[in-house]
Amino acid sequence: MIFGMWDGALFHIGPIPVDHLVVTEWALILLIGCISYFATKNMQIVPRGLQNAFEAIIIWTYDFFTQLMDEEHVAKKWAPVLTAFFLFILFSNYSGLIPGAANVKGFQPPTSNWNVTMTLALITFFSVHIAGFSEHGGHYFKHFVSPSPAMLPLNLVEELAHPLSLTVRLFGNIFGEEMVIAFLLFMAPFIVPGAIMGLSLLLGAIQAIVFTILSASYIAAAAGEGH
Amino acid sequence: MGVALGAGLAVSIAGIGGGIGMGIAGGKAFEAIARQPEVGGDVRTLLFITLAFIETLTIYGLLIAFMLVGKA
Repeated sequence: MIFGMWDGALFHIGPIPVDHLVVTEWALILLIGCISYFATKNMQIVPRGLQNAFEAIIIWTYDFFTQLMDEEHVAKKWAPVLTAFFLFILFSNYSGLIPGAANVKGFQPPTSNWNVTMTLALITFFSVHIAGFSEHGGHYFKHFVSPSPAMLPLNLVEELAHPLSLTVRLFGNIFGEEMVIAFLLFMAPFIVPGAIMGLSLLLGAIQAIVFTILSASYIAAAAGEGH
Repeated sequence: MGVALGAGLAVSIAGIGGGIGMGIAGGKAFEAIARQPEVGGDVRTLLFITLAFIETLTIYGLLIAFMLVGKA
């Protein structure tokens, strides 16, 4: 398996094949779930430790989405999805930072496979249209023919380009970073890959933030004024 | 040989364009923040979104390079 292609099932659940990336994703979801559970198990009015960190994340994302989406009820509706995107992408980007992880089955970051990033982008795609439709009703579909009906193909291409660019951006960044680290590990196994890994600590966080910001701005554009 | 050259050119030419674009965008954003520090937050958000769009074009080149190398 090199280029993010299908590489066989680990086991089957009924007719559905499950490969090692899916198992890694389950492990990450379990990890995030456990951390969230223990952070909120006995909450205090004056937060300490883990609860403090989680409150900071939630307040930061919530304020940010409210500012971006103008209307608070839209932000309130979609902030959980977007925060979940952020946490999941952050954890799965960082799961590749274990040395040599790119070459071990089951330890590759799930986001370095384009099936996973395409799934995330499709969730955004449907969220955008559901948000637009639930805010504006049937009126929402008018924006596909907005300046004139002749623009319909162009508008459709634009809508389809959004998930494609989200997919390719996340996948290309993480996959490229993994390849560079794997190559450096092959050439100089000690110390040298540390520099790139330090950089990829930053890169993973930035990609998680960028995916979340772009999803939020697409939802804001669909749900906001101007339709 | 040709495939390797093509892969190198794909990523390097894409990198030149993306680099110039990011440099201009980042420089202008810093100018704006230096001139008016109170809009720093807004400018930073817009800068991130813009850089993400620019970077996608470079990543397309990188993707083509990987495809070419994987094929050979």
